[in-house]
Amino acid sequence: MVKTADKIEEEIRAIFSSDTPWVTIVWDDPVNLQTYVVYVFMELFGYSKARATELMLQVHNEGKAIVSTGSREEMEHDVARLHEYGLWATIQRGDQL
Amino acid sequence: MTATEGFKRHGDHSYVATFADSEKEVLLNLCEQIIELLAERQDHGHDDPLAAMVGITSHDSPPEDEVLHRLLPNAYADQVDASEFRRYTEATLRQKKQAHAISMRIHLKSSDDGTVDLDHDNANAWLGAINDIRLALGVRLKVENNSHEDLELLTPDDPLRGVYAVYTWLGWLQETLLSALIDDADEDEESQLGSS
Repeated sequence: MVKTADKIEEEIRAIFSSDTPWVTIVWDDPVNLQTYVVYVFMELFGYSKARATELMLQVHNEGKAIVSTGSREEMEHDVARLHEYGLWATIQRGDQL
Repeated sequence: MTATEGFKRHGDHSYVATFADSEKEVLLNLCEQIIELLAERQDHGHDDPLAAMVGITSHDSPPEDEVLHRLLPNAYADQVDASEFRRYTEATLRQKKQAHAISMRIHLKSSDDGTVDLDHDNANAWLGAINDIRLALGVRLKVENNSHEDLELLTPDDPLRGVYAVYTWLGWLQETLLSALIDDADEDEESQLGSS
């Protein structure tokens, strides 16, 4: 497929632009205990118990929550750690939510 | 031997539980199963030894096995991005999950009287391993579709009844370890606030 110059330019800009935010989303899962999800958020992101509980409840009630925001590399790091601890997480471009 | 009372915090960052022989056997057996399951997913016939060495896998699609799929999920909704990410990270994820289960197995095996004493890092490995076992059992129990009420009503001759009993027991065990850890975290937070 031939890409237009505009399209290529847009992609290059996206790759090098540090201000394109990406997000890590955690999805609701019927197995993971609420206390466990809170603990993982505290442990991996250094969130307070109150902040971690708020995010856990958002996942539980709304089906998902954005748990971190940053560069694509940072979000890939976060998702890898969340997967290590069994949380169901994905990465998305912040402008495509 | 009496049934375990779960984990309790002993002094600073030490988490202790004593298991009956039968409980230890169940836990060891489940650890072995997770370790073996993850090993089944090892790369077959890697063409490029250098790629294998730096952790690039030959897998670019998710496992067909439902349990492995839950343990090694896609990181992107987009299939191209998901494949690319998987190629570079899945081997590492498998190794980390295996390491958690192996750590749990070592503690159990090296305990003569059924008592395990974990530091903070060990406790995290146990939490991860117990959680992976619960995720695996959850797939078998189809917890996506079956409510706890459905599962409570399983008849005694249903083979899933035993699986459900282990699943809920592991949830309780994980909860006891979490309470001990989170109490600690609360104290750390307070002491940080106090010192600022």
